[in-house]
Amino acid sequence: MKKSVNFQISSVHLLSHLGQTIVAVLGVTFGVSMYIFMNSFVNGVNKVQDDMAFSSMAHLRIFNENTTQTYDPLQILNKNDNTVFHIQNSKKIQYSEGIRNADEITTFLYTQPEITAIASQLNYNVFFRNGSKKINGMLSGIEVENENKLFDIGAKVKEGKWTDLNFQKSGIILGIALAGDLGVKLYDNVNILTADGSSKNLIVVGILETSVKQVDKTKAWVNIQTARQIYAKNQNFASDIVINIKDLEATDVFRRKIAPTLPYQIETWQSANEQLVAMTQIRNILAIAVSLTILFVAGFGIYNIMNMTINEKIKEIAILKAQGFSGYDITIIFLSQAAIIGLIGSAVGVVFGYFISLLVNNIPFEIAGLSTLPIYYKTPDFVLAVIFGICTTLLAGFLPARKASKIDPVIIIRG
Amino acid sequence: MKNTALKIRHLIKYFHDPSTFQVLKGVSFDVNKGEFLSIVGKSGSGKSTLLYVLSTMDTDYEGTLEINDQLLTGKSQNQLAAFRNEHIGFVFQFHYLLPEFTSLQNVMLPALKLGRLSVDEIENNAYNTLRMLDIEDQAIKKASKLSGGQQQRVAIARALINNPSVIMGDEPTGNLDSKNTGAVIDIFRELAQNHKQTIICVTHDNDFASRTDRTIEMHDGRILNSLL
Ligand SMILES: Nc1ncnc2c1ncn2[C@@H]1O[C@H](COP(=O)(O)OP(=O)(O)OP(=O)(O)O)[C@@H](O)[C@H]1O
Ligand SMILES: [Mg+2]
Repeated sequence: MKKSVNFQISSVHLLSHLGQTIVAVLGVTFGVSMYIFMNSFVNGVNKVQDDMAFSSMAHLRIFNENTTQTYDPLQILNKNDNTVFHIQNSKKIQYSEGIRNADEITTFLYTQPEITAIASQLNYNVFFRNGSKKINGMLSGIEVENENKLFDIGAKVKEGKWTDLNFQKSGIILGIALAGDLGVKLYDNVNILTADGSSKNLIVVGILETSVKQVDKTKAWVNIQTARQIYAKNQNFASDIVINIKDLEATDVFRRKIAPTLPYQIETWQSANEQLVAMTQIRNILAIAVSLTILFVAGFGIYNIMNMTINEKIKEIAILKAQGFSGYDITIIFLSQAAIIGLIGSAVGVVFGYFISLLVNNIPFEIAGLSTLPIYYKTPDFVLAVIFGICTTLLAGFLPARKASKIDPVIIIRG
Repeated sequence: MKNTALKIRHLIKYFHDPSTFQVLKGVSFDVNKGEFLSIVGKSGSGKSTLLYVLSTMDTDYEGTLEINDQLLTGKSQNQLAAFRNEHIGFVFQFHYLLPEFTSLQNVMLPALKLGRLSVDEIENNAYNTLRMLDIEDQAIKKASKLSGGQQQRVAIARALINNPSVIMGDEPTGNLDSKNTGAVIDIFRELAQNHKQTIICVTHDNDFASRTDRTIEMHDGRILNSLL
């Protein structure tokens, strides 16, 4: 009962100054919708970046690279005495590189519940040749189905068919720019030359376009069996095993979990692409900074409006107090006005923010495989926007409300 | 002692602005339950100041104030607000209503705040009180749209709504014609006699004063011919 009087008074205040109320509500609406739009937009950009990156990059990569370059037995054995050595033209021993037991490892990995896809690869640098044209690039031997599962690469084949690599053991799929540079078309021949000097003729069974220039210009794919043949490796050999897991942010946890079991190096996508992570974070910070600034300005506007209202109503506050309303009641009356402004403003802001984002999502933007500006909604952004909106208004309303609650009625009424 | 509604002892009050100036110079008197008291005196003699102290709104004084055997001197603002709500009805010298609310809402607010009765009962009481003061027809008009005399009558209705044990008025009929003044005095007399409500009114109107049970005259911050 007591509460409802206070709310009745605050609603009369809000309604009798409808113009002011609407301005205050719009302030919150603007702040909240901007918060949602900015974050959804940045999420969209981040997602595009991630999608692009993960179209050719897995969450984790297992590989075995020669790390013995620094091994120097003389240094280790005679650490403490003052013997002077003089060795010229020292030769390094070639330690085995690559993963010899890929099947064993993938079998082990498949037992991990976090895994969503695994693919073995055999990647080497080669020369692609067509007549007198000779282009340096990377030949990737892949497992046709698994590779597709990880990167959805089949969808990027513009001419020919990805699965043809299964049937055509001497087939090769070229990046579109590489094919262009070599001057080859579908079903033409292309010759490859390895660093060891072996060469092989392959038939182009597909031409592929990612939106990453560097990949389109330098990469080609063959069946991993074919690659093993070219490099004279056994059936179980792979240079890389790439993995996708369920939560792409949890790569480090997963790496630490499997590392003790595997005698190879494991690299997460974050450590391989620190600049991606940094850009994502900078965009997130920017979005939050901009939207919080807007909310802050809106809050300041509400603070001003509330202050004005209270100066205007100082006599009425005194009358209420004279009739027996306590300082607490007065605080409630004005704070509830702020709360109502915050609630309505946030609710409208959520709808507005959603539609602004929807509108922006329809603006054409035809660069790098995009057709419109990217937007990606995340529930936490909406929840946070509402929380920030309400908190800002409550905070902005609190100081004037406290001031009102401290008014001494007799001073005002005496005049 | 049981019959005393207000007990005022040695009230002293200073104003410090613009220079220190003693308004009340040791005021002491008692008011009985059901007594209709008037306070008269020259302009500037301190009547309004005294009434603000009695109403518990002004706490910046020396001396003591008891209402219904409760010592109110020294209580907190919020305690006093709750006490006012229940026990004191006040009509200000310049009829202060809430301009954005209707007459009816203005009258209902103190009762809604007290929260003793249901909204329907309160509304019903408010209508009855307005009818008693002959302004029922203005019930759903905004207070800011009423004439001075109408506003004053709404303010009186508001002072009565919680059936307070003490009703105070600072020239409550200052804006009323003689017919309405007579009606208000009748209402006050009836409340004092039949409902044992105590009424204290400041007035400049000798007819008004002559129709009350007792008249106190103030002069320069003191009560003349005071027995205490
Ligand atoms: N807020 C104030 N600050 C300083 N002096 C004041 C203040 N209010 C009133 N006074 C002074 O106190 C004295 C008493 O004022 P008060 O209002 O009590 O007079 P009053 O008897 O009610 O007069 P009136 O019949 O004209 O209403 C006056 O001299 C007045 O100037
Ligand atoms: Mg006066």
